[in-house]
Amino acid sequence: MNQPETRHSLIVRLKNAGDERAWFDFVTAYEPFLRHLAGRLGVPERDTPDVVQQVLLAVARSVDGWSDDGTEASFRRWIATVARNIVIKFMTRERRQAGGIGGTDLVQLLEQVPDTPDPGQLDQYEHELIVWAAEQIRGEFIETSWAAFWRTVIEGHSVQSVANDLGISRGSIYMSRSRIMARIRDKVDEVLTDRRPAGEEA
Amino acid sequence: MTPTPAACDRQLLRLSLDDSLSEQQEDLLAAHLEDCESCQLTLAAMASDTLGWSRVSTALREEISGAQPLGRGMISTLIPANPSPAQTNAPTGSGHFSGWDVLPADFAVDFLEPAREADSLGRLQDIEIRSVIGHGGNGIVLKGYQQELNRLVAVKVMAPQLAANAAARKRFAREAQATAAIVHPNVMPILTVHSSNQLPYLVMPYVDCESLQERLDREGPLPTLDVLRIAHQVARGLAAAHSQGLVHRDVKPANILLERNVDRVMLTDFGLARAIDDATLTGTGLIAGTPQYMSPEQARGDSVNLPSDLFSLGSVMYAMCTGRPPFRAQTSYGILRRVIEDTPRPVGELNADVPAWLEGLINGLLGKQSETRLGDAAVIATMLQSCIAHVQQPQSNPLPDRIRSLAPQRARPRTAWRRLVPDGSRYRLPLMAILSAAVLGTLALVAIPPRSSPPGERSAETTDQRPLGGSAADVGKSSPTAPGSWEDGLDDELSTLTLKIDQLLESIEATADVAAESQP
Repeated sequence: MNQPETRHSLIVRLKNAGDERAWFDFVTAYEPFLRHLAGRLGVPERDTPDVVQQVLLAVARSVDGWSDDGTEASFRRWIATVARNIVIKFMTRERRQAGGIGGTDLVQLLEQVPDTPDPGQLDQYEHELIVWAAEQIRGEFIETSWAAFWRTVIEGHSVQSVANDLGISRGSIYMSRSRIMARIRDKVDEVLTDRRPAGEEA
Repeated sequence: MTPTPAACDRQLLRLSLDDSLSEQQEDLLAAHLEDCESCQLTLAAMASDTLGWSRVSTALREEISGAQPLGRGMISTLIPANPSPAQTNAPTGSGHFSGWDVLPADFAVDFLEPAREADSLGRLQDIEIRSVIGHGGNGIVLKGYQQELNRLVAVKVMAPQLAANAAARKRFAREAQATAAIVHPNVMPILTVHSSNQLPYLVMPYVDCESLQERLDREGPLPTLDVLRIAHQVARGLAAAHSQGLVHRDVKPANILLERNVDRVMLTDFGLARAIDDATLTGTGLIAGTPQYMSPEQARGDSVNLPSDLFSLGSVMYAMCTGRPPFRAQTSYGILRRVIEDTPRPVGELNADVPAWLEGLINGLLGKQSETRLGDAAVIATMLQSCIAHVQQPQSNPLPDRIRSLAPQRARPRTAWRRLVPDGSRYRLPLMAILSAAVLGTLALVAIPPRSSPPGERSAETTDQRPLGGSAADVGKSSPTAPGSWEDGLDDELSTLTLKIDQLLESIEATADVAAESQP
């Protein structure tokens, strides 16, 4: 759907201009994930924009609860956590009701103080993020690189055998699979934390 | 930094993760990694950081094995095909074709059937496509010719990436339906629509026109009469749409077409229009308009109503008067905040030629609360019509009181005179002399017959007078005729005069600039 337009309607007022910027960046990164997630939860396509909007609205309204300790990073972390808890609630509810989307009551439900998610729910959330991130960055890599990553990391074949199979060097497998890993991590981090993409030496 | 291939180089590893190595560097690093276990580990650690390889591999493994309850049938894109090593140069993966970047030539190849005419790009059913008129957010607009009907048409084709989206296709079909329901000279009609096509498209008459945006870009602020004429026709088009319960939602200069050589204005692109009772999307605020001309309720994501279009009309009028939209900022986000919170700079500050009552009318349309926006579109159209009559024939068509009462007090009118001929200017004295003579001559004509009106009865409009108008009013005080229309007429004569003087000054200024530049 039309992402920027959705974001435009999600204006929040924060004391700190840096926080507002961070909020906007967050929504920019988060919205595609939410759309993906809604699809996986079986939300019908025609309802997806509405559902995504409502989840984002619930997050936006929770921003009132933010108290500033002076750093942009801490706001970013905080909002990621709020969003995570709201989405976990949403996921739990969606699975119970299988596509039955209520209107405003969804926002109200999500707006309530988020429960602390249990480890299983956190794990599920992280799983969704990783799968989404992998799908997002998949197209950035040539098929050989992806195959090298998949077969050595996911299927557990030895680097040597995959190198032989694909007709590439072991060194290039190390390189490309790390690059894929780094991209997945960056993508996940856009949503999960305040860390910037790779490139800054720690 | 010169890479030393044999040695371990942390920086090189970092760059490889960013994909910023040259081909040669990559080869060297790959060779080094073959046997350097330490660098293999370092690279792996850099890549995973906090997330962890095992977390990712677990997630993806669970995903394809179906161990997680979600993810029905969505794994196919992750599992690699079995590529043969030779043919893998291009990135793969679906969904990376972007319609925004599509070149007309590629587009023709992808979408059109082969042409039958020599000057045609290709064919779309019975339409020979001759050229690309433009492409914007939602698609591409082509110029075509229908042989059987012997007419030129404009074909609007939906962008490929939008066509892949069911909701967008629906919106496109809705645009057609919505617009087809409005038959009005100020609304661009839709001839046919094909929404089942690979890429849906709709056919409109081809009109030789330019958009208001193009005109503003080229000319800057428009003369008052043009502002009123264009706004009047837009308001009439909106009134027609509103009478069908349709909100346009995206009234902006780019969607206002000015027919060439004819004084006709057409509102187009009801892309965001939908019946306000359309239950499926109402209230989500999801479909919104262009930020710069958006109403506060749209910007907030609240439900949009008929007066939302009137706010946008006000913004368009502001842009016509000043050459710029009322709310500007570096980012869309910033614009939206301004739309919601700020009062724009007074029109008169940016263009002193704009009459105070027109500024007042625009301010009225730009009311933050939708219920304060002067009236419905039909009422606004009528108001604008009387403004046009007034500007054309001030004596016989006095400005309605309602409009006159909207005029703000202008504390310190800033005229082109002050702007262009600052006190120290060496052109000031000679100019003053010439202009004073011209003004006095004209005033002498205007002031016949003499008349008088008691002090305090001067109309609200005289607050709008330019410095020159002040002396004119004094001259007029000896007239015996009733105040009101007479004064309006006088004031307008003076406005016109001031305008002419301003134009004269501008041309003199321009000439002076050229002269100054040519001097050593």
